[in-house]
Amino acid sequence: MSNQLDDYLEAQIQRLLSEDGRVAELGITVQRREHQVVLGGEVESPQRRDEICRRINARFPDVEITCDIGITRAQAPGEVEEIS
Amino acid sequence: MIRIAAVGDVHVDSDVVGRYRPALEELPDRADALLVAGDLTRHGTVDEARCFAQEFGGLAVPVVVVLGNHDHQSDQQDRVAGVLTEAGITVLEGEATVLELHGHRLGIAGVKGFGGGFAGACASNFGEREMKDFVGTTEAISARLADALQSVQVDALVALTHYAPVPETLVGEPLEIYPFLGCYQLGRAIDSAPTALALHGHAHHGSERGRTPGGVPVRNVAHPVIKQAYNVYQLLSEQVDAELVGAG
Repeated sequence: MSNQLDDYLEAQIQRLLSEDGRVAELGITVQRREHQVVLGGEVESPQRRDEICRRINARFPDVEITCDIGITRAQAPGEVEEIS
Repeated sequence: MIRIAAVGDVHVDSDVVGRYRPALEELPDRADALLVAGDLTRHGTVDEARCFAQEFGGLAVPVVVVLGNHDHQSDQQDRVAGVLTEAGITVLEGEATVLELHGHRLGIAGVKGFGGGFAGACASNFGEREMKDFVGTTEAISARLADALQSVQVDALVALTHYAPVPETLVGEPLEIYPFLGCYQLGRAIDSAPTALALHGHAHHGSERGRTPGGVPVRNVAHPVIKQAYNVYQLLSEQVDAELVGAG
């Protein structure tokens, strides 16, 4: 049964991230590398990135997490695109 | 010439308030209107809608939005729309609005949109009731977009959706989830009118540029795609501003 848990780990994490009311992130990528899980994508604040790691740690305490989640920049643009 | 700023998927909650504001305060120097392509909030609560209104309201340019799937999460989408409307933000769902800008009429027609997939890999209105309900929703929302686009006579027409109308702007997303990211019916609606530009969000890992089969430019303005507070698009570039003619 423990192997079965491993086989479905990415799916379980992905659903946790979207369905957990404190996270609600559908755009986070989850990749497993042996005993590690690598998280990618971008969120709107450092608090959200940290909460994602906290929630996964709480649910899967034996899983090592590498967090490559970035914070999307919010500066004004420097260019205009002409539509034709 | 008209310049419109656009962004989607800003997912505002109290932790985001203040992040966009410095760039938004510069809007009057950069664009004539701001369009937001859905997922304004994280969970679609009234409190989050107030945060969005605080961050994106009270600007010196008109703000026009559609809701996204996140804005439906708490089943309070009508109350969310009400909070935004009270803050002076125009919320479109199957309607069009016309802005008078520099002597030109800019029409914006908007719907949230829905999934369903694209030619060769799309869901069909067949089989279980749940499947027919799914595709029926896709068809109904897309028909409302077509009606809204065709309801206005303007100099430049923009379609604003949350879900994608073409697969090109989804490139980067897993192929398996394309049917949950958009549908060809939205593209067909956009092609049914003289649309100058189609804007959408929803696909955080997608690509920025595409075009409908009918040739309408499509831009995915999801915040993680454009990686700045908003993009600016220029329409009617060949038109001389009426106010400049008047000044001459």
